[in-house]
Amino acid sequence: MNLSGLGYLLKEGIKSIWTNRMMSIASVGVLISCLLLTGAASLLSLNVSNAVDKIGGTNVTRVFLSMDVLDDEARYIEEDIKRIDNVVKTEFVSKDEAIKDYQESLREDIFNQLIGEGNPLPHAVDVTMEDLAQYDRTVENIMKVQGVESVRDTREIAEKLTSLQKLVNTMSFWIILALTLVSVFIISNTIRMTMYARRFEISIMKSVGATDTFVRIPFIVEGMTIGAISGITTSVLMVFLYDAIMKSVQSIAKFELLNYSEVAVFVSIAFVGAGVIIGALGSMLSIGRYLRKEGNELLGW
Amino acid sequence: MIEFRNVSKVYHTGTHALNQVSLIIEKGEFVFIVGSSGAGKSTFLKLIMREETPTSGSIIVNDIQLEKLKRRKVPMLRRSMGIVFQDFRLIDKMTVYENVAFAMRAVGARPRAIKKRVPYILELVGLENKAENYPSELSGGEQQRVALARALVNNPQMIIADEPTGNVDPEMSYEIIELLHEINKRGTTVLIVTHEHNLVHSFNSRCITIDKGVVVEDAMEIKPSEGGQV
Repeated sequence: MNLSGLGYLLKEGIKSIWTNRMMSIASVGVLISCLLLTGAASLLSLNVSNAVDKIGGTNVTRVFLSMDVLDDEARYIEEDIKRIDNVVKTEFVSKDEAIKDYQESLREDIFNQLIGEGNPLPHAVDVTMEDLAQYDRTVENIMKVQGVESVRDTREIAEKLTSLQKLVNTMSFWIILALTLVSVFIISNTIRMTMYARRFEISIMKSVGATDTFVRIPFIVEGMTIGAISGITTSVLMVFLYDAIMKSVQSIAKFELLNYSEVAVFVSIAFVGAGVIIGALGSMLSIGRYLRKEGNELLGW
Repeated sequence: MIEFRNVSKVYHTGTHALNQVSLIIEKGEFVFIVGSSGAGKSTFLKLIMREETPTSGSIIVNDIQLEKLKRRKVPMLRRSMGIVFQDFRLIDKMTVYENVAFAMRAVGARPRAIKKRVPYILELVGLENKAENYPSELSGGEQQRVALARALVNNPQMIIADEPTGNVDPEMSYEIIELLHEINKRGTTVLIVTHEHNLVHSFNSRCITIDKGVVVEDAMEIKPSEGGQV
């Protein structure tokens, strides 16, 4: 096929979108909804993974000392902990420093009561372990040190987050799969209607000896263009929706969110790519069956 | 060019459309296929176009055995034949020119070739002045000539006309057959399927008569010496 022939086929495909504009708009609409939902699901999943990675990636365990441990004593205890096997680093966190973490989340008058004498927090030591596989044994040894009250188990949080991640990923997967199927179905229906509207032309093309590929290209172009339009529109909408969606997610579970600009390019490419692939798949699905028909059968006469 | 060897066609509905048909049509011939409706004419055409395959027997067109032809090779077979339908099958929203050009585009012809070839063909069928008209603005005979132009434009080795006179008045019918005759003189094999015996009698041509799926007569029609009435 020569280039001008291809140009003609591309033009035919795009013209057809305009000819069937009501149906095209409807499919673009449905496709945008599907892409937005799958996009939101993927982004949520991405954010959860990111949060889990961040938390799981730190192997710092906070060791709380007894309430009655004084500042000087605390330093000795830190030294004792440092000597324990598998402990590579320790960092003393005084109760005054620890309380500061709560400054933002508390009302000023309440916070003011909590500094100094009224501080309910114990001193603590942040312990960095070399090998997390030896976590249990190391914690056991730390607990043996005089003056150590408790150890905050970060693994538990990590585990909870990991299971949350699994849940989110599984849900996202099914949402994406279901909506992709819906989208393919919608596109294939649109293309089927176009083909029906143009069955007469198709029958003439076939009778003069047009190849299946030649008949097929305008419809695939149509499907892919509908997909691309949907993908581009979704990319633009997502910029505005991301903050809104993630804020509402954050109100349920607070964790650090990915900045949209970090993922914008990737997400936009994914939307357009997914749209185009879904469009192509949807059209091919309806064309295949149609092309096998001949003559009057094709025309429905 | 076209050979049928003991061809039978039974549709899945149980209809025996053709029964042990054997015939040979040579290159350059001008042949009428005559029969009343339901005689098997349409099946005959569908088999040649490879819209259907025979239940038994063998069909050879241009040295290709059709029942063995792969589906993706069918377009190439169809490019060797120009089909003229009884109901014209013109695209309403396209002009005469575009309708003819469409057939060239469908086989991937270059725009330059289309620009050159379409006016030539329109002139050949006498429609050079109607190029920018729409089919709805033309008479039945003119529409049939557009259909013929479309069939001719890709320069096929044979023209197959299915009831070309079915939807035009008798005078026009004669003209259309004359035109087909002209085309035949240029070396194109012409096959005309019709139920109008009168029309056949006006031409000195081979006439294959089909009845109830069987070839009942295959002979040269001798044109009456005087006043070939239609």
